[in-house]
Amino acid sequence: MTSHDISIMVNGVRRTGSVPARLTLADYLRERLDLTATHLACEHGVCGACTVIVDGETARACLMLTVQADGSEVTTFEGMTKNGELGPIQEGLWTKHGMQCGFCTPGFAMTISELLDENPEPTRDQIVEALGGNLCRCTGYVKIIEAVEEAVAIRGGVT
Amino acid sequence: MSLFGASVRRKEDPRLLRGDGRYVADIKLHGMVHAIFVRSTWAHADLRGIDTSAALADPRVVAVITADDLPPGLAPLPCIDAEETTKPFNQTILATDRVRYVGEPVALLIVEGDRYIAEDLVGLVEVDYEPRPAVSTAEAAMAPGAPIVHSETNVAEVLEYDIGDTAGALASAPHTFTERFVTQRQAGMPMETRGVIVDWDQRRDGITVWSSTQIPHSLKAAIVGYLGLSENAVRVIAPDVGGAFGVKLQPYPEEIVLAFAAQSVGRPIKWIEDRYEHFVASTHGREQYHDVEVGYDDDGRILAIRDHAVTNTGAYLQRLALVEPFIAVSMLSGPYIIENQHLISTVLMTNTTPLNPFRGVGHVQAAFVMERIVDLVAGGVGLDPAEVRFRNMLPNDVFPLHRGIGNVLAGEIIYDSGDYQACLTRALEVADWDGFRAEQERALTDGRHLGIGIGFFVEETGLGPYESGRVRVEPSGQVVVFTGACSSGQGHDTVLAQITADELGADFDDIVVVHGDTDLVSSGVGTYASRSAPVGGTAVRHAAIAIRAQALRIAADMLEAAPNDLELIDGEVKVKGTPTRAVSLAQIAGRVAPGQQLPDGVDNYTLDATDVYHPTTNTFAYGCHISTVEVDVETGVVTLLRHVVVNDSGTLINPLLVDGQVQGGVALGIGGALMEKLFYGDDGQPLSTNFMDYLIPAVGNMPEMTVEHMAVPTPLNPDGMKGAGEGGAVGSPAAIANAVADALLPFGARVTETPLDPVTVYELLRDSTVIAPTGA
Repeated sequence: MTSHDISIMVNGVRRTGSVPARLTLADYLRERLDLTATHLACEHGVCGACTVIVDGETARACLMLTVQADGSEVTTFEGMTKNGELGPIQEGLWTKHGMQCGFCTPGFAMTISELLDENPEPTRDQIVEALGGNLCRCTGYVKIIEAVEEAVAIRGGVT
Repeated sequence: MSLFGASVRRKEDPRLLRGDGRYVADIKLHGMVHAIFVRSTWAHADLRGIDTSAALADPRVVAVITADDLPPGLAPLPCIDAEETTKPFNQTILATDRVRYVGEPVALLIVEGDRYIAEDLVGLVEVDYEPRPAVSTAEAAMAPGAPIVHSETNVAEVLEYDIGDTAGALASAPHTFTERFVTQRQAGMPMETRGVIVDWDQRRDGITVWSSTQIPHSLKAAIVGYLGLSENAVRVIAPDVGGAFGVKLQPYPEEIVLAFAAQSVGRPIKWIEDRYEHFVASTHGREQYHDVEVGYDDDGRILAIRDHAVTNTGAYLQRLALVEPFIAVSMLSGPYIIENQHLISTVLMTNTTPLNPFRGVGHVQAAFVMERIVDLVAGGVGLDPAEVRFRNMLPNDVFPLHRGIGNVLAGEIIYDSGDYQACLTRALEVADWDGFRAEQERALTDGRHLGIGIGFFVEETGLGPYESGRVRVEPSGQVVVFTGACSSGQGHDTVLAQITADELGADFDDIVVVHGDTDLVSSGVGTYASRSAPVGGTAVRHAAIAIRAQALRIAADMLEAAPNDLELIDGEVKVKGTPTRAVSLAQIAGRVAPGQQLPDGVDNYTLDATDVYHPTTNTFAYGCHISTVEVDVETGVVTLLRHVVVNDSGTLINPLLVDGQVQGGVALGIGGALMEKLFYGDDGQPLSTNFMDYLIPAVGNMPEMTVEHMAVPTPLNPDGMKGAGEGGAVGSPAAIANAVADALLPFGARVTETPLDPVTVYELLRDSTVIAPTGA
């Protein structure tokens, strides 16, 4: 198996090492870095549970190879918590009960983060459009949409 | 402030939101090796041999385990609700001489390294199959000369119930019709697949098992039994569980094989099911058809129903295989008065993945069939479907009501409480039933086809046999709650802390809830059948009441007052009228800590109480769903417009969480009504094994949703709770199917099956005989 040297910024920390070509980014994060909040639910790119941010854009960590992320900046769900404090998206999910089993939640949170970075005050239709690639089997999505709106309100209150 | 009934935010969430959840796949142990199952690729075949030599020759292979490597004479996994007459078509731990479905575990390969290595090497195990003819549908399994899945017959059981004089009533009924209703094969599809880690500790001759399960105590009992260990040698931990929905409701063959493997390998072993495996090797549900004959009169009163339900239960009877066939007929009449019912439920074996209960079990089919029947009766007599429901519906003064049927684990069906007519009335108001009719008429003149439909259901909830609850106050004053009902996302920590905080006046944030660990919780049953609040919650309430009494007795000694003069408020016991004379729960717990001289009349060095609550009978939740839809008659696509639910789960501990349960249930119901179907080829090959072939609802499939609660308390437990986990999934497919049928009424199309996916709707329209009026 060919190995490749990589250097990736993960949640603001430079990570270097050697990985086999076939190692997915999800498995690299989970198994090598112990960043287990990136969850694997389908491993064929449909459900979005493994969504992370690579260079500012969401990516399916189950479909991306670690070597493809070489030189990139990656943010995982763990990176959303600053100094132990929950950010607005997490607060929104908590307050509006936008999560039940919590397995899909990290992927949703990363997708929401990309949405709000691009569009700080999305309409309901824009929220639905943005979340269309993440599956949740528990909530029926109603409270996830409300959680995004709550996050928008919290962020508005901060600035 | 009373916490019971308050929509407080969940205790569970900050930890999960920091990314600190701990699901099975997240756990790593020192020296851990990885396992992968060799699974049958044939639906039906003789197993002529397994050649493990190539695998064993690879230095990375730690072990290969086949049925021959297991102790001889192991009993198959039991079906615990089998009747005496039920055929013993049970599953062995690994296949022995024959495989009966694609995905059946044949062997276990354990490798040094990770999942990548395991998948590289699994092909080295060579299995010699001699294929046999297979059957995948109930019709094929019953056909003359059909391949026999086990021996002699494909019929595992026929349940039959007879109330009144159905034959006579049908013969004399002014109107009758016959119809076949079909519900498809579906599955719970939690986002987290199954996963197991086993860790044999030879220093104590014991095993620790982490499993994504709803029933850690039952799994422990199974491992104790199969491995012949003492109870204290087995510890089962259900860590964070990423959804379950009934799919994780039984000890599975994989868990037992892995436990044996741990013993022989002597190293921790990890197995994480992948999604393909989940599609073929975790249990399915729902697949039935119902052949009904219905008699009714000119006023739309239903006089008699004969229903023959047939369940395709797959290749083996699973732990609770009879529940779905039973409930699908026994709960058929739901909220209605049907004096004559002849109910037959046949359970058939086929070469498909086995069925076991999943969210809404049996009730989904019962509600779909019954609510379609009511609408067809309404059409037959030219009355409004809502009016026909009122005419047939039970009044509110009949409770407790014996329904005359009882069997299969649940005991006699006795409806406990409710007001069905008020529920229907309210749902019609919220959905603006009459207003929608006007809108529908206007839309039709524009060539748009709207429909509205009702799905009323009654659902057996709060199932026994028991649940444990324990409350302990530490000398620090911290309150710890132990429950045998473990969470797969419902919010047990939160609602059980609400009950306890309420009873003890303790700080909600100071309460810790412990579940999912058989070493920490000595007995328990688990989470299913909408039982955790009414059964588990009641046990915790009882334990907290006992703690309160203990605390008052100890405080009476400390404050030199009579217990009757004391009250427990905000975590302190105070002398009534003299609130400055008070002792805290912490001081009370400290007063009886070991090393203290116990007060007179107190004989325990602890503030600790356990209750095991056995409900005498079940609760029955109910609700009314009303769905509105638009059908694109060119493409067959159904768009949901609005979904209204008026639900009665009894008293609510946390309305925010119950709303979440209902909304999530409706989403599952939408999947069942419109999207989800597990297809098999005639040869028994599964054709839907990923989320591209099996569509589950995404956010864009959801309608605007309104959920209201009735909250009529049950008299069966002190808090009046009936359970809330499944109702959302039960009423929704019926309501959506009726709404689609309503939209298609101008075409004369008859809706009799789910899912109503675009192909099915298109075919209904293609085959309809009426050219519908269109406006523009």
